[in-house]
Amino acid sequence: MAIRAVVATPLIALLVTSGQQPVPPAVRYEQHVFAGGAAPPAGTLENPFKGDRRYAADGEKLFSAFNCDGCHAVGATGGQGPSLADGRWRYGGADGAIFHSIYYGRPRGMPAFGGVLPPDAIWRLVTYLQGLEPAADPSTTSW
Amino acid sequence: MTASTLLVVLALQHAVPGAPDGQWPMPAKDYAATRYSALTHITAANAKALRAVWSFSTGVLAGHEGQPLVVQQTMYVVTPYPNVLYAFDLAQEGYPLKWKYRPNVDAAAIGIACCDVVNRGAVFANDRIVYNLLDGHTVAIAAATGREIWNTKVADVRQGESTPMAPLVVGDRVIVGTAGGEFGVRGWVKGLDLATGRVVWTAYNAGPDAEILARPETFRPFYDKGAGLGQTTWPPDGWKHGGAPVWGWLSYDPALDLFYYGTGNPAPYNAEQRRGDNKWATSVLARRPGDGSLVWAYQFTPADNWDYDAVQEMILADLTVRGRRRRVLVHFDKNGFAYTIDRATGEVLVAEPYVVVNWAKRVDLTTGRPEVDSTKLTGASRGSVKDICPTLEGGKNQQPAAYSPRTGLFYVPTNNMCMDYQTTPVTYLAGTPFIGLNAPYKPGPGGNLGAVIAWDAGFGKKVWEIKEKYPVWSGALVTAGGVVFYGTLDGWFKAVDAKSGAALWKFKVGSGVVGNPITFTGAAGKQYVAVYAGLGGDWALLAGDVRSDDPADVRPPASFMPDLARHTSLGGIVWLFAL
Repeated sequence: MAIRAVVATPLIALLVTSGQQPVPPAVRYEQHVFAGGAAPPAGTLENPFKGDRRYAADGEKLFSAFNCDGCHAVGATGGQGPSLADGRWRYGGADGAIFHSIYYGRPRGMPAFGGVLPPDAIWRLVTYLQGLEPAADPSTTSW
Repeated sequence: MTASTLLVVLALQHAVPGAPDGQWPMPAKDYAATRYSALTHITAANAKALRAVWSFSTGVLAGHEGQPLVVQQTMYVVTPYPNVLYAFDLAQEGYPLKWKYRPNVDAAAIGIACCDVVNRGAVFANDRIVYNLLDGHTVAIAAATGREIWNTKVADVRQGESTPMAPLVVGDRVIVGTAGGEFGVRGWVKGLDLATGRVVWTAYNAGPDAEILARPETFRPFYDKGAGLGQTTWPPDGWKHGGAPVWGWLSYDPALDLFYYGTGNPAPYNAEQRRGDNKWATSVLARRPGDGSLVWAYQFTPADNWDYDAVQEMILADLTVRGRRRRVLVHFDKNGFAYTIDRATGEVLVAEPYVVVNWAKRVDLTTGRPEVDSTKLTGASRGSVKDICPTLEGGKNQQPAAYSPRTGLFYVPTNNMCMDYQTTPVTYLAGTPFIGLNAPYKPGPGGNLGAVIAWDAGFGKKVWEIKEKYPVWSGALVTAGGVVFYGTLDGWFKAVDAKSGAALWKFKVGSGVVGNPITFTGAAGKQYVAVYAGLGGDWALLAGDVRSDDPADVRPPASFMPDLARHTSLGGIVWLFAL
């Protein structure tokens, strides 16, 4: 019932994929320590919409329509979930790392959206989040 | 009630044999939820000589709501997630641990705990400690050894259910409820068997009468009579994801054999998606502990437009109202009104604002309904509705008040804030928030964001007030020694005179206080006061700039409270004080 309700929204247009993109088996994380200095064989994912404001605008709509703002707040500035607008990333800020966080979820409370959002929609969300300007030094300016 | 059940009930009033007054066996000390202690060693005259005598780091950085228990010279402390349970031996120097219990709690629960990973405490009964893990499990632990006796899954994290509330034990029944008003749960309370943990009954707060256990032969509401209200006051199927969670406090009247609890907000926040009164969200419900039957219910905020949960404690007292002695419950609602209600019938006797209120002009005592200011109604089509008082944090939130039968006064931690409120349509998607809200806060009249007040619930009048710079998010404790204790968000723990509110003593405890003080008789008959320091509990309130534990999460300060992080940061400390 829930999925039907989602599809019934006007955002259906955003969910139609333009050609199926393969789901990656694994993503390489640049922030990891590689044992022996050797990175494991894994794919890197590139955001096909990187820097494109039209896709970022779609992503902003999806951010609200799929209740992301319920945890991360309007503008992704942080609520019960962490800020996604501070230029800092728990699980890496590379294209594939953010994609992975949304698609598969994360163990400390981030739901996996890969079952309701196709890769194209997730890339729109990634584009939106990557386009947010972090504040210069938010923690010390108001004292 | 039969004679035999009466005997059982009377025995339970003193559930812990020995010296019940020197102990603290349940969240609010007693079934009436008074948070009143008859101890008199610490008085208004000598409180200035209080000093810190012991502290302990829980090892957890999160909002330390709730309170310790003290039974038979052992102090029990439950931490926020991951819900470690510590047992301290108060009979030995330095209070070493007797044992600790480390449950395996599902980390996914972190993501569906709306307002920090808090735990509101445990209860002692039948030589066991019973409490809820955040991930929807209730556990019973042997008080002597720390051994897990049973572990029952009561709630489903994947449906947005979590369990931060403190259970209540009545006889052989453990009563628990679920949170999740921000995740579109269908709220409930359950009655478990204390011996085995088996779920004996489940009572939903909305839906068909058969499922809310509103039986025609026993359900006798004072105002809203009729069948099927839990269903007909919603759009079709709206109640299935309508919230009405249970994340606050429970109390119990042995003479009436009724337990009382409040329900949270209806979901989602956009009221246009759930036209109707939405019963029994934002209500008080009175049920029988044995089988869960609903005996009466009263809705404080019909068709809630402002996230005015009603989960705050129901304090049971016998008061004189308009010249008549009444058995009442007193409730300080998020909506800003303080209610004095006949606890046998559900009749509202007094309903007066205890903070600044502008969404309603008054409560009509003949109908029980608030007279709503239509300019303050919200909904997605109304855009941002400005300057609503109080905020969705409430005139008071979960922080429990205390009642002294000596002074006849209620001591109430309060918030003084107003808000703008803009909702948007939302779609239910299991496991994700069902909210749709942007609601910036601002200071209320006077500019102080909080206050502690003394309240006369027979008349519905404020007797004195202590203004505080920040919202007062800690509970209150009052003693027969005439002292009220509470803490502040910027980390002061304070003692004030119960008669006048005059300041007696304060101590900086290292982190903001959102827990509830208790008092007990320790070694050599000495009186001690315990409280947690550990800021947190609601990131919407705190903005998150008070945390330093996550380098990947940096936030600007809250616009209405820009300097809190100058005075405090996260913590997790148990403090003991004595003369």
